[in-house]
Amino acid sequence: MSDQPDFRQIDSSLAMLTGEAAGQQVEQQDQHLARAVPKPWPDAPAVAGDPTYYDRPVLKQPVWIWAVPLYFYVGGLSGAALTMAAAAQLLEGSRLWRFVKDCRLIGGIGGGIGSALLIIDLGRPSRFLNMLRVFRPTSPMSVGAWVLAAAAPVGLGTALWSHKPGFRGRTADFVGLAGGALGMPLAGYTAVLLSNSAIPVWQAGRRPMPFLFVSSSMASLASFYEILGAPRAARTTLTIFGAAGRVAEIAALKAVEKEAAKVERVARPLHRGASGIVLKIAGALNAASLILSLWPGRSRKRQLAAGILGTAGSIALRYGIYYAGCASARDPRASFHQQRQGYGARELEQSVYPG
Amino acid sequence: MTPAATEPVKGFFTDTTLCIGCKACEVACKQWNQLPDDGLFFTGMSYDNTVELGASTWRHVAFIERPAALDGRQGDAFSWLFSSDVCKHCARAGCLEACPTGAILRTEFGSVYVQPDVCNGCGYCVVNCPFGVIDRRQDDGRAWKCTLCYDRLKSAMTPACAKSCPTESIQFGNLDELRAKARQRVKELHQRGMKEAYLYGEDAASQPGTEGLHAFFLLTERPEVYNLPPDPVVPTKKVAAAWTSMAMAALGMFAAALASVALGRRAGGRA
Repeated sequence: MSDQPDFRQIDSSLAMLTGEAAGQQVEQQDQHLARAVPKPWPDAPAVAGDPTYYDRPVLKQPVWIWAVPLYFYVGGLSGAALTMAAAAQLLEGSRLWRFVKDCRLIGGIGGGIGSALLIIDLGRPSRFLNMLRVFRPTSPMSVGAWVLAAAAPVGLGTALWSHKPGFRGRTADFVGLAGGALGMPLAGYTAVLLSNSAIPVWQAGRRPMPFLFVSSSMASLASFYEILGAPRAARTTLTIFGAAGRVAEIAALKAVEKEAAKVERVARPLHRGASGIVLKIAGALNAASLILSLWPGRSRKRQLAAGILGTAGSIALRYGIYYAGCASARDPRASFHQQRQGYGARELEQSVYPG
Repeated sequence: MTPAATEPVKGFFTDTTLCIGCKACEVACKQWNQLPDDGLFFTGMSYDNTVELGASTWRHVAFIERPAALDGRQGDAFSWLFSSDVCKHCARAGCLEACPTGAILRTEFGSVYVQPDVCNGCGYCVVNCPFGVIDRRQDDGRAWKCTLCYDRLKSAMTPACAKSCPTESIQFGNLDELRAKARQRVKELHQRGMKEAYLYGEDAASQPGTEGLHAFFLLTERPEVYNLPPDPVVPTKKVAAAWTSMAMAALGMFAAALASVALGRRAGGRA
């Protein structure tokens, strides 16, 4: 046994570390108790009425770091870019070929950055390839890992080789269309990933959330190009695409709030606390960017402002949804009320929706 | 949900009416599995200074000071409720279905096991457990939880917590036998006047969301009082609706892209 304390108090001259948890690497005393109960509980909690166990959370909070909500934004942007590239190639491949290439480049680089963000979040980053060890369709994270692993190289490869003469160019053009088919789930699977959890507010929002994330991805692409300066040939296209995304984003956030509001306690973090504030800011930023982007007349400054506000809005939206989930996990009554009011397993028996 | 079981399905029946709150299960679990300690910390939550299950805490005794007598008991309006909580080894396990690496698997004993040499610490199992059992330890980086003493089962031994329980509140055995025993116990308690006794999660009929727990409980209060969810559901059971929405939203985005390219045609020059 090393000299470093491992909080096991096992004398290595008498015993061997071979237990089921012997491999658990401990560097410091776990502080979770100090965090869980910062000051001693004053009295016994009520058992009648609407009980909890000393207000302790029933669920564990998500352990993800700042990189994960940022990935939701970057992955969404990449997905929208790959989808746009496929659409533009299908209809206007020769006129918009440069725009198609640029979109694929955004998709490919975004996929790479997104992968990096996900890897630094892992508890064991060196094992990131284990994500591709199996394909598990019951796990949206497994599905997403495969989509991302395919989308990033497809985006980069087709950006380099599409619209070139010869076999390589034709192949890249064809694979680029398949890249669009990867971009579509890339923009939306993260919403499925969050919905597929025990966190009350995420589970409650499972029907509108994919619309929210996909429309936010559309808005993200338009905002990104507004910052870069959209190519003249694609300017109108991006304005229309972005406006559609921003309108849908605002509507889908309302739909998420409405679904969650079926149980008052579940909807709470969407309106209150830090997550509520972040979501309010996101809504205001997105509305402002929508208005600026549709304002008549052409002004580079206004376009830039629309892009910056829209990008900030889309990023804030992902953080707001993420932190709402953390707050929801901390609130035991969110789970209890949701399940008592028929939105636990009972919902499945009564539901008109399959699954 | 137990593919190719070569052994009868094993599990725990935790009869909370027999629990005396001695925490021998917690100590035995820590010692056998060589789990690091949680530190010495005073919570004021009755005698519960363990607080919750976690990456390094695989048994947790809940202490409830109830200001009411148990059914059929005379005397003060007070009763102690103790309950030793543990991973439920659900028949449909949220953690297992969420795990993208295949680190979490179903063993030959029907238990749910995390392989520490495969887990990459993605943390997705943590949000998929409807009971808040599994957790990722920050310094270790991986997710950990009760293994149902897989090493002991391999040697035909009883898990450490059940072995050390002095009142047989924690019973270990073949799941069907435990179920029969538990139902008999509820009947007996009802006959003795303790009408509030019931089983929590003993099979798929009583808990359809998880299709039954391999570690189930006999309780005398509502589940919330013990910090157990009243109607838990494996998230995967509801995910089809989200995938359907995603497919519609994704096709909508593609349609919007096609439409905006078509509409942008008139306005555009050359790229």
